[in-house]
This record gives sequence, structure tokens and C-alpha cells, in this order.
Amino acid sequence: MPEIRVTPLGAGQDVGRSCILVSIAGKNVMLDCGMHMGFSDDRRFPDFSYITRSGRLTDFLDCVIISHFHLDHCGALPYFSEMVGYDGPIYMTQPTQAICPILLEDYRKIAVDKKGEANFFTSQMIKDCMKKVVAVHLHQTVQVDDELEIKAYYAGHVLGAAMFQIKVGSESVVYTGDYNMTPDRHLGAAWIDKCRPNLLITESTYATTIRDSKRCRERDFLKKVHETVERGGKVLIPVFALGRAQELCILLETFWERMDLKAPIYFSTGLTEKANHYYKLFIPWTNQKIRKTFVQRNMFEFKHIKAFDRAFADSPGPMVVFATPGMLHAGQSLQIFRKWAGNEKNMVIMPGYCVQGTVGHKILSGQRKLEMEGRQVLEVKMQVEYMSFSAHADAKGIMQLVGQAEPENVLLVHGEAKKMEFLKQKIEQEFRVSCYMPANGETVTLPTSPSIPVGVSLGLLKREMAQGLLPDAKKPRLLHGTLIMKDSNFRLVSSEQALKELGLAEHQLRFTCRVHLHDTRKEQETAVRVYSHLKSVLKDHCVQHLPDGSVTVESILIQAAAHSEDPGTKVLLVSWTYQDEELGSYLTSLLKKGLPQAS
Amino acid sequence: MDPECSRLLPALCAVLADPRQPVADDTCLEKLLDWFTTVTAAGSSLLLLQENPCLVELLFRVLKSQDLSSRILSFSLRLAGIFAAQEDCFQYLQQGELLPMLFGEVGPLGGAAWTAPAVRSGWIQGLRTLAQHPSALRFLAACGAVDTIFSLQGDSSLFVASAAGQLLVHILDLAMRGPARGRCSPQACDWPACAQKIVCHIEDSLCSIATPQVTQALNVLTTVFGHCRGLWTQGLWVRLSPLVARLLEKDPVPASHSLVDLLLSVARSSVPSSDRGLWETLAQTLSHLSPTQAGPLALGILKLQDCPQALRTQAFGILLQPLACVLEAAAQAPGPPGLLGGAAGDPMTADTLLCSKSACVGLLCCALTHLGLLQPLPQRPSPWPQAPLLGAAVTVLRLCSGSVAPTSDVGGRLCAILVGCGRVQRAALDFLGALSQGAGPQESVTQVFSVLLEYLMSPESSSMVLKKAFQATLRWLLSSPKTPGCCDLDPRTQLFLRELLPVLQKRLCSPCWEVRDSGLEFLTQMTRHCGGQAGFRQALLASEVPELTKQLLQDPESYVRASAVTATGQLSSWALLAAPASPERPGAQQKSLLVELLHVLCADSEGFPRRAVMQVFTEWLRDGHADVAEDPERFVARVLQAASRDPDWEVRAQGLELALVFLGQLLGPRGSHCPCAVALPETAPPGTLAQALPEAAPPGTLAQALQVLCRVQLFEFAFRALFDCDRPVAQKSCDLLLFLRAKAAPCGSPQEAGDSPNVASVEATLQRWQAGEQGQPLGYLEPGAVMAVLRSIDLEGLRDTLAESSDHVEKSPQSLLQDMLAAVGVLGENEADCY
Repeated sequence: MPEIRVTPLGAGQDVGRSCILVSIAGKNVMLDCGMHMGFSDDRRFPDFSYITRSGRLTDFLDCVIISHFHLDHCGALPYFSEMVGYDGPIYMTQPTQAICPILLEDYRKIAVDKKGEANFFTSQMIKDCMKKVVAVHLHQTVQVDDELEIKAYYAGHVLGAAMFQIKVGSESVVYTGDYNMTPDRHLGAAWIDKCRPNLLITESTYATTIRDSKRCRERDFLKKVHETVERGGKVLIPVFALGRAQELCILLETFWERMDLKAPIYFSTGLTEKANHYYKLFIPWTNQKIRKTFVQRNMFEFKHIKAFDRAFADSPGPMVVFATPGMLHAGQSLQIFRKWAGNEKNMVIMPGYCVQGTVGHKILSGQRKLEMEGRQVLEVKMQVEYMSFSAHADAKGIMQLVGQAEPENVLLVHGEAKKMEFLKQKIEQEFRVSCYMPANGETVTLPTSPSIPVGVSLGLLKREMAQGLLPDAKKPRLLHGTLIMKDSNFRLVSSEQALKELGLAEHQLRFTCRVHLHDTRKEQETAVRVYSHLKSVLKDHCVQHLPDGSVTVESILIQAAAHSEDPGTKVLLVSWTYQDEELGSYLTSLLKKGLPQAS
Repeated sequence: MDPECSRLLPALCAVLADPRQPVADDTCLEKLLDWFTTVTAAGSSLLLLQENPCLVELLFRVLKSQDLSSRILSFSLRLAGIFAAQEDCFQYLQQGELLPMLFGEVGPLGGAAWTAPAVRSGWIQGLRTLAQHPSALRFLAACGAVDTIFSLQGDSSLFVASAAGQLLVHILDLAMRGPARGRCSPQACDWPACAQKIVCHIEDSLCSIATPQVTQALNVLTTVFGHCRGLWTQGLWVRLSPLVARLLEKDPVPASHSLVDLLLSVARSSVPSSDRGLWETLAQTLSHLSPTQAGPLALGILKLQDCPQALRTQAFGILLQPLACVLEAAAQAPGPPGLLGGAAGDPMTADTLLCSKSACVGLLCCALTHLGLLQPLPQRPSPWPQAPLLGAAVTVLRLCSGSVAPTSDVGGRLCAILVGCGRVQRAALDFLGALSQGAGPQESVTQVFSVLLEYLMSPESSSMVLKKAFQATLRWLLSSPKTPGCCDLDPRTQLFLRELLPVLQKRLCSPCWEVRDSGLEFLTQMTRHCGGQAGFRQALLASEVPELTKQLLQDPESYVRASAVTATGQLSSWALLAAPASPERPGAQQKSLLVELLHVLCADSEGFPRRAVMQVFTEWLRDGHADVAEDPERFVARVLQAASRDPDWEVRAQGLELALVFLGQLLGPRGSHCPCAVALPETAPPGTLAQALPEAAPPGTLAQALQVLCRVQLFEFAFRALFDCDRPVAQKSCDLLLFLRAKAAPCGSPQEAGDSPNVASVEATLQRWQAGEQGQPLGYLEPGAVMAVLRSIDLEGLRDTLAESSDHVEKSPQSLLQDMLAAVGVLGENEADCY
């Protein structure tokens, strides 16, 4: 029995790192290859030993697909391809391909060199890994091999994020990655066609949340930044190099312009240029408004945001600084934080999630006295704000996507078990489909209907066309013929051709039925009465009275005979071929009702 | 345990046992277990529990709680396992009946929580940690745990199932190592009851008609023979080998992959010394399995150190079969005996190759990879059929490119399957590269060069195929024989090079960055190894490759710019970058590269090219590159000035590396203490600073060297770097200054040190830098002031501080406990979504 098997190695009832194995019609695909930033040993990577024990990785896996550039979706990729030994193709969209190495490189610099962690990939490994990447365009069907094909759909979330349809024959799986069903300041909403996959694997980060409008969060953000700079304070916004940072830059840039503010906004050196470069390059991936206004003004060319120099941190007066890394775990953002933390006029805004073991995590949990190196204590007097700008579909959005794609089954990943449970019930109730939520390491197996490709003979198609019906891709039609199997191939041909090819003689199969009529007249007269009756009832059919006394309607033959025991009864012998089975049955039932009395 | 941690622990335990307080971060519990493992490894668990009663209380409360999360329950099971691993602590926990409540039928095992894989996993891991002593074995037997473990082998979670198998092996090993240590009989009937039970279960599973059960048994046995070293393993094999052999009688052979793993694991253990029948089983398995299944077994057999020749021949035959079939199918006419010494190819292999595309590709890729792995091993079969293998690799590549048209029906079908198949192309190119390590007849090598050229030229070659083709080409060029009597390339290789360079030229203009980059990487490696060979130099200088390489310094893709920097740096080192300069302006071309690279260092927006420039410059300085040797002081000053301002800390760190090379040249290498004692011209390579030191001052004096270092502003760079926000920069600077101080200290004259008027202002500036205010320049420094400052800084102390990772405070157990406590009640503020 053909089946689809799904095993999450990561993102099964958690949000740590996504890595999902899918087997579909004998093809094995890995969906995302993420890293958990909360660990600093091998646990940060998915446990690939469960794949390697099935033999060589490259022989086992047909391809790897990366949904977007966030490290919890692509962070383990260089490790997987250059250290574990996967040598096959990796698919991702073009923006992801361009941005992925920058984030991987940024993280490598923090992890290996700054923190002295071992068993991590090198810069050369990142490059070698990126050389294995095959870029895909939206809505372009890419043949991984003769049987396996993939297709990307727009997912919103971050620049270049995509949902992927994986298809082998008539079986298909859609993996959403992270997606957002509402457009935001620089990205559009996710969209997928009614592809009716056997299985939809969807993220469920906000499975139980109906999120307020992002506008409110944006207003709040601007208000806080504005108030701080107005009172002469400094605002630190720790960010990762690309992604959320650009969204917030656009926000501030427009606000500064509108309010004619003078306080400087800085961005870690080099990053603005990189970001501009990529966002300009991939304008088609941004939202409609940005695309439309691009000709007049590029929204990613910032007037107010300038490159940051380390010396600026000591300058007096208000300012806003975007600095990396995003969780205050090292480098420039941490250095600036240390300088500014003691002043209550200042503010740090954390625009995203911080893992345990980072200063970001500490201040978000309300700790205000932080121990630093050498037993020094840093007192945090500056204001600490958390504003999640992550762009995930909320419960409503997830339901909307399920409605759009019309899957036969749904599988939830990238979320917490309790929240998933709630959404699972909702999906099952509303869409009447099965919904699964496997934990990491658990395999969900879905049986699928076998799909057998059948070739149709030209002769048969021509005959069908001759009936005047033109083929229409949207309206499936029934085609009658004979199915023959030769050399492991199936073909549908006309019965004549089948007989000829197989060297068989034709046999005719007729259905027969006896109908008893009360009629004292002679058989011939009964036959005439039958003829007249049918002629009057079946006006659209060819009814004939043959010289031998029998009556025919199309292929149906009716003969009248005397009853051996009852002379007052006549027996009508009705016989017909299987082609006229419907008419034959109708005639029989008609005759059983008896003949009209002669007037 | 740290007193502060001890103080925080009761509050934390209370939080963990409270179902209303979910744990904020999913890594916290793992990290907490790591910490307890470290603590118990260093001391007594019993003492730990006695001093911190909250821990036992936590375990009791967890058991009582009805609606606790599966994560906390799993954590508690694992925690209990960690404590109970020490026998006295085990007894202590047993007194309270805690262990049966956690691991027995009355515990989570019988409740609703058991449906969560995390709980089942915690239960297994807890027992795995706990099972370290005979008391634990008795406990396992008493609470019926072994039966549960049997059932968990078939768990719906891969993680749980796999852990269950490993736990069985661990228990078996423990039972066999236990009280009967040393006198345990290899006869299984004398074994402890627990071991008997496990072995019987394995026997039952091996006889099962359900493949998953057979697989489980085989996997357990594989781990046994892979990890357990006792004599008893031989007895176990004697008992079980007939059952394993019986699997071969089934068609198809069940769980073939696991069977292969087991047989190889047994073959690598001590069993073969006692059971020669194993070789027969291996031979039978080879002949029973399909060609695809038999490949890994054949490779494993050939990797064994000691194994009968007949078996090795059989195994090698299996690896060669697919290639033999390809050769046979593609042969235009019957040729000389091929891979199998003229014997006909195995019909089963031929069938596999022709039955479907995926089977064909899978089998060929495996065969090519396995043979490629075997090639460099000392135990590879001898004689090694180098020439037929080369022929086979070339044929496979030609079938894939469609450049051969086999006349036979089979050949035609094979060609139709393979044409354009990137996976086979990549595997074949890797294999061809591996074969470069052995010699081949001239004709074969010509064919290799020809097929490589074909691939490098073909517009059909994908970027990955091209990368592999470049790598294989490099390997063949580097291993090609040299002309007798001189170290130059042989004429055939030279001819190949002349054909290759126009192709490389074309590839350097490819629209695909991956291809341009692979081309540049190839050029760099070739130049590094063959830059001095006349044939290579001639061919390269006659081509446009050097010019194109230089143009790629402006490539839009930063990876390519970085590779172009490395390549031009390498070309320039061998004076290969341009045609010989005109007599009027000697070295004009070369100089312009230095300027260009300096421009890249100052202006490139990406880190990769700037880092590559620093590497080239460091190499140039170390090797005495002509341009550098002209005025090393000016060169170093310019480079350090650019590097010190770089936003990328790796560039700054490399700047310090270059400074260290400069110091070494100026003051002598590490190890020798004082430049006064070292004659500079002897230590420095020709063309380096020692030769280029200002003529006015005689070389060899510390004062002179310090003057030079001050002029190039090395101290300002190093002092600033000492307080860099990026730890590796500070570490490198610390090393450099320590080196300098060690060099200078023994001969520093008292009148030079400490009495300079500049010292106070320097120290004040350094203090501001330390505080993070790095805005002000240090200004010109006098050598005396430098030495005084160097002596006043506690460099050793700083080095020790820097040796710790930048987040060691946040990673400490105390910080972990604080974080977990602080997160109580603020959950939702920092909710995991993505990063």
C-alpha cells in the first residue's frame, strides 16, 4: 500500500529548530535543516544519526528544501552538508540563497570564534554548502528527478520565505515553513492555490492566538522610540543582520520623515548596505506598495539611517542604534547595552525571541542586576521593552490557509503541544480532515491511493473527439476502453484494438429475461402488439418488426413464444448486449407492466 | 555545589513542581540535567540529596501532581536516574520507595502521561543512567522493567525505540559484567537470569515473521558486538548465529540493511578468532543479497584487516560488477579482459541497472562511492585494476554526457537512463579524482584528460558537476608524472594544460558565481603547487587567465571577489600576474595589485574579500614578496591603519596576525628572547624588513625596532585591540603584547622605561578605551612610554580572563537558576517563535 511518512527531527511539538523528514512514493525529502540557538553543543543540530543509519545520506535523501533564511530553519545546513556528508541538491528561493550565507556567517563568527565553541562549520564550509543550492522561482515546477517535483509559493514571513509543494505522481505534500497571512509593511500575504495535497504540513506557532493588528504594535514601537529620543535618551534595538531589522528601519525612516525628527539613527556598519542590496535585488518579493512606489522612491534607500561607528556610542544626545546580534549575547549590541544600561533615560527594545543563556533573555525576564565578567555587576536602569514583530499566521490565518489548499490531511509542526491540540480539534471539526501533531522522532504514516499512469491510444481519443466533445482540462471525462498491460505498462485502447493486439476472438455476451404476458392471441399477433406498443413509447429509438416475427429495439431482441402449460399466457424472450444494458432493463420493466388493451 | 546555587535550588524545585508555572525555555531543563550530571560526577549524590532535601521533595511532589507537564515528568525521571547511578544514593532513594514509584507499574508507566513520548524517553534515559550497579539490576528485574523495554523497542517514536534497544544492550552488558565478572562462561545457559531473558527475547525476535521485530533484534545485536568486549559475546554469537543464518533462507532477506550492519559488527569484534563459520555466513550473505544491498557489506569486508582471500575476492567482485556491466554494455567490440578478468557480468546486476532509472542510478553511485573509498586504503585488493577502473569511470561519464553511442541494445538503454544524470556524474567525477592516486597507462590518462576537458567545456554541466570536474582535474594534474630529470610537467600534461586554460578562461566569465568561484579556487591551488614550473608558467602567461582573475576583483559576488583576491595574491607571489614589466617601469604591474588589494581592504562592503586580502598580505610579508620588500615599514603601516578601522573583527584579528609576523621579522622568532642576542639578518628571510631597515640606524637594537613599531602605529592598533568588544581580537592583541614584552624586557634599559612624559596620558587613554570610549586617538608614542605602559598592564591576568568564552557568566549554573526563577510569571513576554 503506498503511503506518505512524516518524521519530525525538529519542530515536532516545539519551536526549537525545524527539520522534517518526508517519504512520499519512495522519495525522501528533508524539509528545513535548522539550528537551536539555545544549545552550544551538538544538541543545537537535529540528530541526523536517524538518517545516516539508513545508509549513505546522499543515497537516502533525494533533496533538502529550505523554506526561509531564519537560522532555526537553515542553521544546521553547512553542518549537514559539509560535516555529516550530504552531497545532494538543496533547494531554496533566490533571496534565501542570497541571505542565508550572511546569517550563517554572522552566527559562525559569534559561536566559534567569540565563544570558543568547537565542532562548528567554517566560512569555507558555508560557501561549499551554498554551492550545492539550486535556486527556485515562485510557482515554477522544478524537477528534482524524473519523478519528484517541487513548486514554491509565496509565504510572506520574511523576504524570500516560501511554502513548498512536493509531488510524486499524483501524491503531494505541502510544507508551509513559517508564513504570514496578513501583509505587512514590506511583505505581502502568503498564498497557495487549491492544490488539494494529500497532506499539508503547517506551522502552528500562534495556534491559539488571534493577533492584534500589527499596526498597533508598530504605533506602540514608534511611540516608545519617539518618547525616549524626545527626553534625550538613547534607544538600542538589538537585531539580526537581515529580516526584522529592515522592517523596523522602514518604519522609523517614514516616521522620522513625517515628524521631521533630527535625532540620528544608526545601523551596524556594513549591514545597511547589504540589506539595501538584497532588498533592492528582490523587490518582486516585497509587498505591492513597495513594488509600486519603487520607481519613484526605493523604500530601502534610507535618508535618516546611517552607518554606525563604535565611537558614536559615546556621543552625547539622543540616538537610535540598530546593532547585532539580536539576543544581546555578544559583540556590538552587548557592548552598547553595557554602556547605556545605567541611564534610566535610555531604552532597549527587543524585537524578537531570546534564548536562555543570553543577556536578552535575562532582561526580558525582568532581571535588573546582571553579573558580568570579573564579578562586576551591571545595574540595568534603562527601560526594557519587548515587542514581537515576528510575522506568523495566527489561528485565523492557519485556518484560512487550510481552507485555501483543501488538503486531505493536516499535520502541525513548529508550535507547542498544548496549543497544537486546540488547533487540531478545530481543524478536524471545521474541515472534516484528519489532523496530526507528532512529537520529534514520531512517525505519522498516511496511506494514499495508488496512482498508476495509463497511456490512452490515439484511436480511442480520436473516437472520443469524433463524438464532438472537445477536451477540457477542468472537466474530467469518462473514457471507456480496454485496459491492457504489456511490458509493465498500462494502456487504454478500444476493444477492437485490444482483441487485435492480444490475438483473441470476440465473444458476445447477451443478457436475457423472460416476461410473461396474459394474451390468448397467437404468438405473431402478440409480437405485433409488442411492436406497436414499443413504437409508440420509444419514439427516439429504432424499433423494427423483423420478417421472422421478432421485434428489435437497437440491439435488444424480443421474441414471443407460447407458454408450454398455459395457452392463455405468452412468454416474451428479451435479450440484449451489455452496451444496451440500461435500455434492456427499461424495456423489461415496461413489458412487465403489460400491453395496452387493443382499442 | 556553589552556595549561591544551593540557596536558589529550593525555590527552583518549588517552581518545577508547580503545574501552574510552565518552564519558559525548552533548553533550561536539559541544561539543568547537564549541571546535575557534572555535580554528581564530582561528588557524592547522597550528600547532595541530604544537603538539598528539596530535590527528593521535588521528586515526590512530581509523583503526586496530577496535571504536571510531560516535560517536567520526563525531567524528574532523568534526574532520579542521575542520582541513583551511585549505589549508596540508590539505596537511599529505595528506602523512600521513590524509585518503584517513578519507574515501576505504579508510576507514570501506568498512567495517562505515558502516552507522551517525552515521558517514555525520560523513563528510558533515567533507567539508562541508573543502571550502573548490581542493585540496579535487581531493581530492574523486580519492577519488571525489562518487559517494558522490550515493548518500547517498537515504539512509535524513533528516539524512544532506539533508546530502548540501547538500554537492553547496556543491561545485558551490565548483567554479564556483574558479580560473575571474569568467570562468566561463554555458554549462554550459565548466564544470569536477566541476561537469559534478554537473549531469549532476541531469539524470539529473530524467528519472528514480522520484519520490524527482526530489525530490532539485529540492531540490538549490532550494538552488542560493536560495544561489548567480554568473552560472553562469542558465546552469544555461537547461540544466535544459526538463527541469523536462517534469515538468509528467506526471500527476500528481511531487514537486510540491519543484517549487513550486524555481520560487519561481528566481523570487527573478537568473534572471527573463535568462529570461522562467520566467513561462510558472510559469503552466503553476499550471494543472497541484491547487488544494491550487498555493496555496503562488500565494502565493509574489504576494509577488514584480516579476512580470507576468497571472501575478499567475492566482495571485490560485487563492487566491480556494476562497472563491469557498464563496460560490457558500452563496448563497441569485444575488448581485452576487463574488470572481472573476462568473466561475464552478473545478470542480476545487469537487471538492476536496466530495470529502472532510480535503481540504476542508486547502484552505480554506490559502486563508484564504495570503490572511491576503498582506493586510498592500504588493505585495498591487490592487484588493483587501475586501468579497467579508469576505463569504467570514463565510460560512465561519457554515457552520462551522451558522448558515446553504444551499439548494443543494453548499451543504448543504459545510455538513455544515464544521459544528463547529475548524481552519477558527481559520483563518477569524485571516483575519477580518487583514481588519480594510482598510475595508469598513457592511453587511459589521455582519456581521463579528454573526458575532464569535455565536462569542463560542456554547457550542460551544472555548477556542482563543474566543481567536481575542477577538483578531479586538479588531482590529476598534481599527480601527473614529472619529466624525468627535471621537476617540470610532462609533455602530455602540458598539452592538456594548454587546452584547459582557454576553458578555465571561459568558466571565469560564467554567469553563475559558483562556477567562477570554483574556477578561481582551482587556479589558486594549481598556482600554489605548480607556480614554479616552467610549463605551467608559460601556458598561464600565454593565456588571459591572469588578467581575467584580476578583473574578478570587481565581481558583484563577494565570495568570488574573495577568491579572486586569494588567486591574484598567489599569482603575484609567483610573478604570474602580468607580462614582464617594461624595463622603464620595473614592477609597475605588480605594484598596482598591491594598491588594488589595499583598496579592497578599505572599501569592500563585505568581510570575505577583506579577510582574503589580509591573508594574502600576511603571506606576502612572511614570504618576502617583492613589493612588500621594497618598503615593508610603509606596507605594514598602511595595512594596519586599514585593518584597525575594519568593522569585521576577523579582519582586525588578522591585522594582529600580520603585526605578529612583522614583529617576528623585526625581533626574531618566538622563543629567542632578545633581539640584541639575535642577528637580525640571519633570522629574517631575504627581502624582508631586516634587509629593508633604514640604513641610518644599524639593525639589531631594540630601540631601533621599537621606533619602527611606533612609526607604523602598531602599538596604537594593539592597545586599542586589547579592549576590543570582540574577544578573539583582544586575545590576539594580548598574545602579541606579551610576546613583545618578553622580547624586550630582558634588555630594556632602565633609563628608557618609565620616565617618559607621555606615560600618564597613554595610560589615561587606555583606561578610557577599556571603558569602551575608543573615540580618541592615542597619538604618536615614544618607545620608552610604550615599554612603561606594557609593564604596567596586567597582561597575564587579562589573558586568563579572555581565555573564557564571552558568555561564560550567562552559561554558569547560577545564571541558569536565576533565569529559570526570573522567568516565572513573565511567560508570554518572551515567547518562542523564530529567530
